[in-house]
Parts: sequence; structure tokens; C-alpha cells
Amino acid sequence: MVRHLFLIRRPDHPSMEYTNPELPEGINTSKQNPLKEFAILTLGMVGVLFISLTLLILLVDYFADKIPFDWERSLPVTRFLDSKNSEKLPLYLEQVSQQVIQSLDLPESMTISVHYVNSDTVNAFATLGGHIVLYRGLLEKLGYEDELSMVIAHEVAHIKYRHPILSASHGVVTGLVLSFIGLSSGDGVVSDLLGSVGMATMIKYSRDYEYQADSDAVESLIRIYGHADGAMGLFNIFDSAKGDIGTVEFLSTHPLTKNRITQVGTMIEGRNILNKNDMIPLPQAFKDGLKQP
Amino acid sequence: MIDLIIFLILLALGYGFGRLAESRHYTSIREREKELNVIPAIASRIPPHGRPDFDIHLVTGSVVISIDYFKRFIAGLRNLLGGRISAYETLLDRARREALLRMKAEARDLGAEMVFNIKLETASIHKGRGGSIGSVEVLAYGTAFIPHQTS
Repeated sequence: MVRHLFLIRRPDHPSMEYTNPELPEGINTSKQNPLKEFAILTLGMVGVLFISLTLLILLVDYFADKIPFDWERSLPVTRFLDSKNSEKLPLYLEQVSQQVIQSLDLPESMTISVHYVNSDTVNAFATLGGHIVLYRGLLEKLGYEDELSMVIAHEVAHIKYRHPILSASHGVVTGLVLSFIGLSSGDGVVSDLLGSVGMATMIKYSRDYEYQADSDAVESLIRIYGHADGAMGLFNIFDSAKGDIGTVEFLSTHPLTKNRITQVGTMIEGRNILNKNDMIPLPQAFKDGLKQP
Repeated sequence: MIDLIIFLILLALGYGFGRLAESRHYTSIREREKELNVIPAIASRIPPHGRPDFDIHLVTGSVVISIDYFKRFIAGLRNLLGGRISAYETLLDRARREALLRMKAEARDLGAEMVFNIKLETASIHKGRGGSIGSVEVLAYGTAFIPHQTS
């Protein structure tokens, strides 16, 4: 409907006519469903970021591998650990560690320092410079020497494959890429999402490393004791300690315990190894020593 | 994990309520546009000639509309890739039409016959500051021509 409202006549203008038509809807807006745009943009960004980060990480891994172990050892992390953990390593721990380290065929230049921290934390980790840290909280939960060897062998295997320096370089690369993207997007939510993608890429490697370390640790156990029950024993302890309920593997740095058990199961399957139930209990003196404040 | 769940909930809330608010707003805009169509809003600076029996009066209408979380997220991704930020198109379309409607409503209340020389001003509020939802203000103003009430 077009209505002629009025005419304007001026001496210098022949005539001006004003009408007031109803404007058609949707000229200024897009008719596409926003969910479609959302799906394309999100999946596209996540995919591109994941692929490019993976490629970058592979590239960096190539160089990180070449960093001499001596150089890694001179990093400040050494001094930090020495000052923090003045606790003397119990003799028994020293002996078991030596036995495990020898069974793992480390390169000659690689030296391992085992630290013991008198704290309730249920954890053990390996870090730059060949340092392994064992917490009392975890050791207290162990019942057998086999399980202790499994813990140590797992951490030593991380060092053997240079996992700490690889992870550290992944962190640097991912952090750099994400900070650039974050700066250019200028939006907190988008940077958060992309940050999670970067995190997921990084911890995917972290999980691969866990499997790799598990596999070497199991080999080490078989070499020392003739069987790998210590691995299963340790995983059962993890299982009862926290369980995997409500955890999604792709969001965590460590594989689900049940997946680790499956992997170890496949490894020892078909291998001619000794029967169960001959694990060596931890000496009572060592266990008592742990409880001292 | 928790972060991801919160993020998805916020997205879903933003999408749901954003769409609801938008479709309601559009319905109301269309109704009022029909109603106020009798008052022409003309961008021309040249007033009608030969009809001096008008009072003139400044009329304004302003509105502030916020983007929802879902649209803001899409717009954030668009910032990286470029292209039409369609998420903002409806926001601005609604804001412009609403501002004009409010201006016309004021003109109608004054008994105006038409509004001349209309202008639109746009101002963004929270300019991309991290963590804040973007909103926009549109101000419409013009010169209302009110016939003399004497007769």
C-alpha cells in the first residue's frame, strides 16, 4: 500500500512527492540460522587450530629432542628442587631406584636424581633435568616393592624419552600461538575456547607419554621381577583412590586408569611370565620410617 | 570440564533467550510500525513549502539493546576470520527501528503530522572490553511539524 501524503511545491523545485511505503522485512538482516554459522565457525576454528598446533608441536619436537641433556640439567629447576626438598632420600628408596634405573637402559649421559618429599600429596612426577619427585602421600598407599618400582620406573621412563622437555616446549609453542590469537580476537570467551583447544592438543601428547612410560615401566618390572603384577597393583590403588567417574579422557592429562590397565593387559598377554601373588612386600622399617613427621 | 559445561550452558541460555527476545521485539516493532505509519519520517532537510501553519518541535527516540552471549561468541569468531557479522545485523536493525518508533511516538503525542530531517546516531557501549557483553545505543531525532491547534 502506497499512500501519497502531500506534495511540496517550491519555485526552484518543480515538485517533490513524499510517500510512505511499507518496507519489506529482512533487507538488513541475514536469514541464515545462526546455529549453522555457529557450527561452521566453531568446528572450523577448533579444527584449524588443532591441526596447526599439532603440526607446530611435531616441528618443535624435532628440535627439542636435540637439546642436550646436560643443558637441561643446568636449568634453575635443579636448584629449586634441592632447596625445597632437603629431606634425605631413605636408603631403601635409593636401592630400589638404582635397581629400576639400571633395568631401563638409559643413555650414559643421563643422570637421574630421586627426591623424596615428606608431604601428604598423593603424587609422583618427573621434571626437567632428570629429577624425579616422590611424595610420602603416594608411598604410604603402596604395599609392595613391585608397586614402588612401577612408580619409579614410570617416572624414569618419562626422563628416558625426554618427556619433560618435550612437554615444556609444547607449552611454550601453544602459549605463544594462543596469545597471538587471543590478542587479535579481542574477546575473552573466544580466547577461552581456543585456549581449551590448545590445552586439549597439548594434553593429548601428555596422555601418549603416559602410555609410553607405562609400557617401559612394565618392561622394567618384567626384567626385575619376572612379572608385571606391580603395574596392576598400582593401577588398582589409583582406581580406589579417586576413580574415573565423571572424567572424560580427552580433557585430562592422564589416561583413564581402566585404559592404562587395558594397555598393560595387552602388553603382558601371551608373554610367558611368572604367576601372580609373588610380589615383594615393602619392608616394615621403610613403612614406619615414612610415618615420621 | 566444569568450564566447558558452564560455557555451553551460557551459550544455550544466550541462544534461547536471545531468540525469544528478538522475535518478540520484531513482532512489537512490526505492529507499531503499522500503527505509526501515518506519521512520515523524512530524511530531507527541505521542509514543505507554502504551509506556514506549523509549529516545529525536536523529537527524539533512543534505545539501548544488548547482544546475547551466543551472538557475541559468534561475533568474536567472526573477528578472527572476517565476513558479515550477521549476529550484529539484527541487533542494529532492531535498534534503529525501535529508536525511530520511539521518536515517532513522541511526535504523535505532540500531535505532529510528520517528522523532517531525521538523523540516526549510533554509539557502542562496552567497546569489546574482555568479559563484557556488547550493547549498542541508537538515537533517532528529527523536527516534528505540528499543525496549529487554533482552528
